[in-house]
Amino acid sequence: MKIFILFLLIIATLFFQPTHAQDTSNIATKEDIAEIKGAFDGMNETVTEMKNTLDILKKIKISGYIQAQYQIADTEALSSTALNTYPIGNFAGGSFPTYVNSRFQLRRGRLKINYDNDVTQYVLQLDLTQNGVGIKDAYISVKEEWYRTATLTAGIFDRPFGYEISHSSNMRESPERSRMFQTLFPGERELGAKIELVSENERYNWLNLKAGFFNGVLNNANENDSRKDFIGRIGFLFPFYEENFEIDCGVSLYAGNVRSNSTEVYSTINDATKKFTRDSLSSNIGKYFKRNHLGADIQMYYDIPSLGGFSLRGEFITGTQPGTASSNSFYNPGSVVSPLYERKFYGWYINFVQNFGLSNQLLLKYDVFDPNSKISDEHIGATGSNLKAGDIKYSTFGLGWIYHWDANVKFIFFKDFVTNEKVNNTATGSLIPFKKDVKDNVLSLRMQYKF
Amino acid sequence: MKKIFLTLLLAVISFGFSGSNETITVKGSDTMVILAQRWAENYMSAHSEIAIQVTGGGSGTGISALINGTTDICNSSRPMKQSEKEKLKQRYNTLGVEIKTAKDGLAIYVHESNPVKELTLQQIKMIYTGKITNWKDIGGNDAKIILYSRENNSGTYVYFKDNVLEGSDFAPSAQNMPGTAAVVNAVAKDKNGIGYGGAAYGKGIKYVHVKKDAESPAYEPTEENIKLNKYPVTRYLYMYTRSRPTGALKEYIDWILSAEGQAIVSKVGYFPVR
Repeated sequence: MKIFILFLLIIATLFFQPTHAQDTSNIATKEDIAEIKGAFDGMNETVTEMKNTLDILKKIKISGYIQAQYQIADTEALSSTALNTYPIGNFAGGSFPTYVNSRFQLRRGRLKINYDNDVTQYVLQLDLTQNGVGIKDAYISVKEEWYRTATLTAGIFDRPFGYEISHSSNMRESPERSRMFQTLFPGERELGAKIELVSENERYNWLNLKAGFFNGVLNNANENDSRKDFIGRIGFLFPFYEENFEIDCGVSLYAGNVRSNSTEVYSTINDATKKFTRDSLSSNIGKYFKRNHLGADIQMYYDIPSLGGFSLRGEFITGTQPGTASSNSFYNPGSVVSPLYERKFYGWYINFVQNFGLSNQLLLKYDVFDPNSKISDEHIGATGSNLKAGDIKYSTFGLGWIYHWDANVKFIFFKDFVTNEKVNNTATGSLIPFKKDVKDNVLSLRMQYKF
Repeated sequence: MKKIFLTLLLAVISFGFSGSNETITVKGSDTMVILAQRWAENYMSAHSEIAIQVTGGGSGTGISALINGTTDICNSSRPMKQSEKEKLKQRYNTLGVEIKTAKDGLAIYVHESNPVKELTLQQIKMIYTGKITNWKDIGGNDAKIILYSRENNSGTYVYFKDNVLEGSDFAPSAQNMPGTAAVVNAVAKDKNGIGYGGAAYGKGIKYVHVKKDAESPAYEPTEENIKLNKYPVTRYLYMYTRSRPTGALKEYIDWILSAEGQAIVSKVGYFPVR
């Protein structure tokens, strides 16, 4: 009997156990679903939050490039006290140090941070090289929301003049800009504010305008006079898409002033004698001299089937520039007290680039800069002419090959053949080397990484 | 020795020319990725010597790849911007070649159970800019509108923003989805969802009929309405190359524009241009 009761109990246990277990399992499944749903909702919230954070981070764009190069000059740069001294490579990445004819150089080391909030932008670009850290760009820009055509920019940014300034150093085929631009617009940037009108609408995008007011000093310098300089460019695009041909062109104006901090001024060339007239009135201190440039630029692009596209770009600038005895670059009253030389100048360049497939480019470049167009070579150095090294005309022929290793790396092989005006045979002092064409050609082998 | 050298040289030359498979890379618009894959599959089945690699990533990504030289063809569901053309000019001295390959209606998706049947462009703009937030304001249920959008590297996103939102910003609540298929999928599962994307993707959702304004008739993104430009949000689907295509690339593009290639456009759900 006991055995029978035990048997019944076992059967009953076996019979009821699964049913009971199944009920528990049903309840557990609903709870599990709720739990999974909760976990899923939680994950969804986390993903949404992460996505929002990512969306904000996506607005921050970091880019940069490094240009490392090896350069060989025709001769060693000599000590500044040595006879027959002249600068080498000053327009090929900076003058070579004394007793040096070859060098490794970190020409540019740029790091750009851009926070792009669609209609507003923050941009900071630093240049980190063996010479230290410098600010290249630091500006804010705000685009109007209605037509998305007008943008106001304030801070340190490219001067809106001509084409070559706006052509980024990491995209440009030649290692440096033409002598004309390096002389007239050292550092390319300026502190000021500009308005830019560029439409994305196909009906109007053939026209663009950028203009603004600037301190007229240098990109990293404080203002040194009360007058602001106007710089502006109006540009036109004429694309012929069927032919894969385009002509772009523009006209630029620089209207500014420079304040003299010297009594000694050379601003008039005597038409008969071709000599600079020395003016040493005490009223010259604080007097303003015109810095006016007028420029015209043109770019042509054409695609040769099976070979690659080519471009032919040219630019011409003429005007008046207050400089110093040794250079027709910007006269800076904030620096040392030096006589002011106001010269009428002109300069131009022509640049031809032929692409060969994806990776190769051939470059031919020729530029001319005449800092004093009112005189010619024999007048420089003539007795009592008051014409100095800053009056010498230069022409430079450049030949280069560019090889794009991949989307990030490119190599540039480029040689500058520099020719100077030969000054008067009676020239003395620092002009003596320029009685003949000085040996200042430079070969540059550059490697660039861009991201 | 000479013979051995000549034999080796000939062998190298022969190897260089024999059976060299050409690869065409295609990158860009997610809207066009299915279409591009179908084109590639069909073309490769008839041209075994050509390999075509198709990837998405969005129109912006494709255009960047074209500029960087990492793709031969860029698919884009929006026209190239002037700033992008400038980059091509600076790097390759070319303007880029634009090829219109298909037409598409930018459809507005809602859940199948949603009672809203038609919307004006202005209403769509107000919904996506966050000015209308409840379905009852436009004839639907009393429920919050859940916005599904695309990532900003998408050509569809840019086209929608430029042409429907007229440049205004999307409401911050809009959820950015990685592709049109993801938008469709999300709307199909969300009774209160609304999304936008290519007309070829509409499975499990309902198309809203779109009106230019309150007085205009409403149109569904059908082939006829898109072809006749009656549907108010109609766009082209583009291919871009860096320079004028030649050789195998040209043959492939010519085939896409041929009757055979355009028949695939219709099969995928877009509308032929020829």
